[in-house]
Amino acid sequence: MFGYVLANGSSLSKEEKAIYKAHYCGLCRALREKYGNQAMMALSYDMVFLEMLLADLSDDEETRGSERCIPHPVKEHEYIITPSTYYAADMQMLLGYYSLLDHLNDDGKGKDKEAKARKLLPSLEEKYPRQSAALKENLAILGENEKKNLRDPEAMSLIFGNILGEIFVVDDTSFFRDDLRTLGCGLGRFIYLIDAWCDREKDRKKGSYNPLDENISRETMKAMLLDAASTASDAAERLPLDQHVFILRNILYSGIWSKFEDRKNTNDDRSV
Amino acid sequence: MTDPYSVLGLPPNASDEDVKKAYKRLAKKYHPDVAGNSEEAQRKMQEINAAYDAIINHKESFSSGYGYQNSYNTNYESEEPIELRAAVAYINARRYMEALNTLRSISPEKRSGRWYYLSAYAKAHTGDTVGAMNDINVAISKEPGNITYLAFRDRLTGRRTQYEDYSRSFGNISTGFFPCCFPFFPCCCII
Repeated sequence: MFGYVLANGSSLSKEEKAIYKAHYCGLCRALREKYGNQAMMALSYDMVFLEMLLADLSDDEETRGSERCIPHPVKEHEYIITPSTYYAADMQMLLGYYSLLDHLNDDGKGKDKEAKARKLLPSLEEKYPRQSAALKENLAILGENEKKNLRDPEAMSLIFGNILGEIFVVDDTSFFRDDLRTLGCGLGRFIYLIDAWCDREKDRKKGSYNPLDENISRETMKAMLLDAASTASDAAERLPLDQHVFILRNILYSGIWSKFEDRKNTNDDRSV
Repeated sequence: MTDPYSVLGLPPNASDEDVKKAYKRLAKKYHPDVAGNSEEAQRKMQEINAAYDAIINHKESFSSGYGYQNSYNTNYESEEPIELRAAVAYINARRYMEALNTLRSISPEKRSGRWYYLSAYAKAHTGDTVGAMNDINVAISKEPGNITYLAFRDRLTGRRTQYEDYSRSFGNISTGFFPCCFPFFPCCCII
């Protein structure tokens, strides 16, 4: 999807890095297994976070192995697959389809890919009616607001947050559904906002829609991001996480800021 | 209710980490896949969930939330519009989206301080903390001395301070730590 939800490697131990990487490779493997090699293109760190979160929450059984894969044919590496990996893979495909559709509508690119991915849609929609409906409805609202050129980053990010909120809730009868939804929503808001921030120059040059005010200061942006991130972390702290809690916290409290802190996205900031 | 810690088999001074571990261990034991769909297992599961809620959410969640049922049903029931009561029922059943829809059905001129408080509460529990903050501020402006509202706002603002404090313990973010090995492949070069 966007790939903003990743760890800050510099404060992970060697063991934690290895586990994180193995979950990443596990998700990649599950995508290839279920949807073919091309599906690998959809892989993102965001869904690795979801997988590790859900696997920890439900104490999932792990299947470990090692393989050589297409992107890394030389060095054998470890992977970890859990039942949550397959859920995350399905969600990745669902989100991936709409991101392809978005590309097609915006730039007219990727017609073949979109057509191919569209074939997967009916089965995913049947399997996950709640998640698919939330995705469709909220993307439609986002689209309408874009057409109206609505410059309200909080409102827009909340709509996107609602999508991720539903995706984080695997089972809407589970005891932890509210905290998962809140966590997903907070992260979704964060992703939408940081994506708008990182793309603002590009969008301005292209004349594309961007929810942010042209003169928005870094401080204002940071305050919005902080609110979204703390919504997510507050919910995460209420969940009984233990196995991956260090990695998940690293992501929530530190890693997600990587692209905001990235020099590339700060120094070109003319408006501050 | 019995002492929530004893339900989880823990001493009363157990840490939140212990509570979380104990919860998971017991939830596994009484999971329908393991324990079957017996009534006994279901009842046990409810007890464990309630204990978890009482400990973790009492300490970490919006302080007013779990005193709801008592204060609302006794003090307000008779004078309250039916929609507001319905919203409270939804909130108590943790169905926040429905609560928000019900609240919206009350026309703006009839919205009291409590309306704004309930709306803020439901919004915060669906991830809309910005909306929650706006609403609680209106609630406070309508009823400046209401301690519940003030406590709720503190909780909302405290969340951010807590986040920033904890964030600092991770140190600086080293940028470019996740370089891409292939320009077109998703990357897993994190080591």
